[in-house]
Amino acid sequence: MSEAIIQTTKLTKEFIRDEFHVVALKDVNLEIAKGEFVALMGPSGSGKSTLLHLIAAMDRPTGGEIRVLGHALRELNDRQIAHWRNENVGFIFQQFNLIPVLSALENVELPLKLTNLRKSERIEHATTALKLVGLGDRLHHLPRQLSGGQEQRVAMARAIVTDPSLILADEPTGNLDATSALEVLTILGRLNKEFGKTVVMVTHDPHAAQFATKMHHLEKGELTN
Amino acid sequence: MFRYLPLILKNCWRNRRRTVLTIASIGISMCLLGVMVAMFHAFFLSDPTPEQALRLVARNRISFTVSMPLSYRAQIKQVTGVRVVMVSQWFGGVYKDARDPKNQFPRYGIEPDKFFTIFSELHMPEDQKKAFERDRAGCVVGRDLAKTFGFKVGDRLNMTGDIFPGNYEFTIRGIFDSPRNSDEMYFDYEYLEQTMPERRRGNVIMYDILIDNPANSARIATAIDDQFRNSTAQTKTESEQAFVVGFLALLGNVKMFLVAISGAVLFTILLVSANTMAMSVRERAREVGILKTLGFTPASILIMILGEACAISMAGGIIGYLISTLLMQGVAKSPFGGFLPAIHVFDPSVALVCVLAAGIIGVMSSLVPALNASRTTIVEALRSTD
Ligand SMILES: Nc1ncnc2c1ncn2[C@@H]1O[C@H](COP(=O)(O)OP(=O)(O)OP(=O)(O)O)[C@@H](O)[C@H]1O
Ligand SMILES: [Mg+2]
Repeated sequence: MSEAIIQTTKLTKEFIRDEFHVVALKDVNLEIAKGEFVALMGPSGSGKSTLLHLIAAMDRPTGGEIRVLGHALRELNDRQIAHWRNENVGFIFQQFNLIPVLSALENVELPLKLTNLRKSERIEHATTALKLVGLGDRLHHLPRQLSGGQEQRVAMARAIVTDPSLILADEPTGNLDATSALEVLTILGRLNKEFGKTVVMVTHDPHAAQFATKMHHLEKGELTN
Repeated sequence: MFRYLPLILKNCWRNRRRTVLTIASIGISMCLLGVMVAMFHAFFLSDPTPEQALRLVARNRISFTVSMPLSYRAQIKQVTGVRVVMVSQWFGGVYKDARDPKNQFPRYGIEPDKFFTIFSELHMPEDQKKAFERDRAGCVVGRDLAKTFGFKVGDRLNMTGDIFPGNYEFTIRGIFDSPRNSDEMYFDYEYLEQTMPERRRGNVIMYDILIDNPANSARIATAIDDQFRNSTAQTKTESEQAFVVGFLALLGNVKMFLVAISGAVLFTILLVSANTMAMSVRERAREVGILKTLGFTPASILIMILGEACAISMAGGIIGYLISTLLMQGVAKSPFGGFLPAIHVFDPSVALVCVLAAGIIGVMSSLVPALNASRTTIVEALRSTD
């Protein structure tokens, strides 16, 4: 039953610039099955974000292979990757990363602008997503008019509005107080359990990791377990 | 593309002061450009009015200030296609205090019985025309001039001559209406002739010539000039339009001047807006990364940034064009406007040039930052902390 949704073989990422040379990931062999909620842990600088970026095809590996949702990412060009990511991946950042000039609703609508949906449908989907994260009453607020926890929930609504099967979150609770963090984690848990989304979450926080169904540890760019 | 429009507009508006300043500076440049193009158009590209197309002007080949014998009038009349030949004498002279520019309106000595035939676009009641022809010391003034000074028919108008020394006392016999600016005064050149000592008589600065058919104008002009090819005073005959441009060319190379100013204006504003666009794109590097994460392609990022720059600069272009029409209205109404070929205040080709130039400036100024933004990798873009 556990169909592999993410599969890496000898995945390597090196950063080389002038004099410095960093191996951020080294020969990572990882398999994540559909429906899992994975917590990716490890000390700072161990390559967690880098791994997440490679899974989301936001960056290209320097070695090894990566297959996500049945696609060998290497074979897709930039344009195809963009479409693929729009359809299949929702990404949540530690710093929320909302567009400051757009309201909550407009921020969430943004990914849908790349689809064929009509305006009314886009608004409907975006509203639904915001209601799902408990922000049905904040549709027209600008990011600066929201609390950090609310901003992060808008960002989550934006990540799920295209109904992607994969949700990637890079320390989503890193900038939040305990209560807000709990809300965010609860929503991630629901998305995983009720909606069957595969979630990969980077975190430092052992409490946060408890929401996950599985844990992976990175140490100096290598998977340790 | 249109789906991005709301975002493009919101982005334009996020740094209001900068956007307003950019629009203003582009607007001012485009206004200048609009005036230049309108002038260029009026001088070098406009069609003559039907009346103008029937007129030639003959002058001494050497310059506008050298005269020709009066005997040429009869000889020019002989040329096939010439219907009327009239003396036109630039008078100069001083009216009241010459330091006040409004007192410096142009005045010409002409032949009253031919004047309204040649300048058929000027209108004056028949009885006034008759009175003008009868009175050797009579003169007529344009409606605009009459308004400026409150002249009425029958008023006296005193002048001191400089080119033609002496005191002249004119009586206003008529006020004419013109489709263009009419800040001029015309009187009987015979009056001038009689005040001159014998040796100065019989010299003419210009002949206004009415021909039978615009299609023949080039042929007739050549025929006239050929006639005096071997005389001491050779002539230069050209269309009224060409004559006006030639007259202005005394001030310098008008064409070069207009092109050079326009070029300088465009280049400067290109640099200014390139700097502004580079700044505003750099500030948003991180947002570009976010949009890409959401699935925006490099091409759509490119379009959004170019679109933003174009929206701003074209707004400037439109505003600039509108202001330039106001200025051109002013130019057309000024005394200078009487010299100019017909000026169309709302000239669609000028509007097109302004908006198009603004659009091109928008694209050119943002192309490099837009390309850079569309090419940077997401991870790099997200790391920028502006
Ligand atoms: N764009 C880059 N250029 C150069 N080096 C980089 C780049 N991105 C990451 N690195 C390096 O790669 C290593 C792994 O970085 P990464 O951001 O993946 O760590 P992390 O586990 O997410 O750390 P943290 O918990 O602090 O977020 C680090 O040594 C980092 O300095
Ligand atoms: Mg990290």
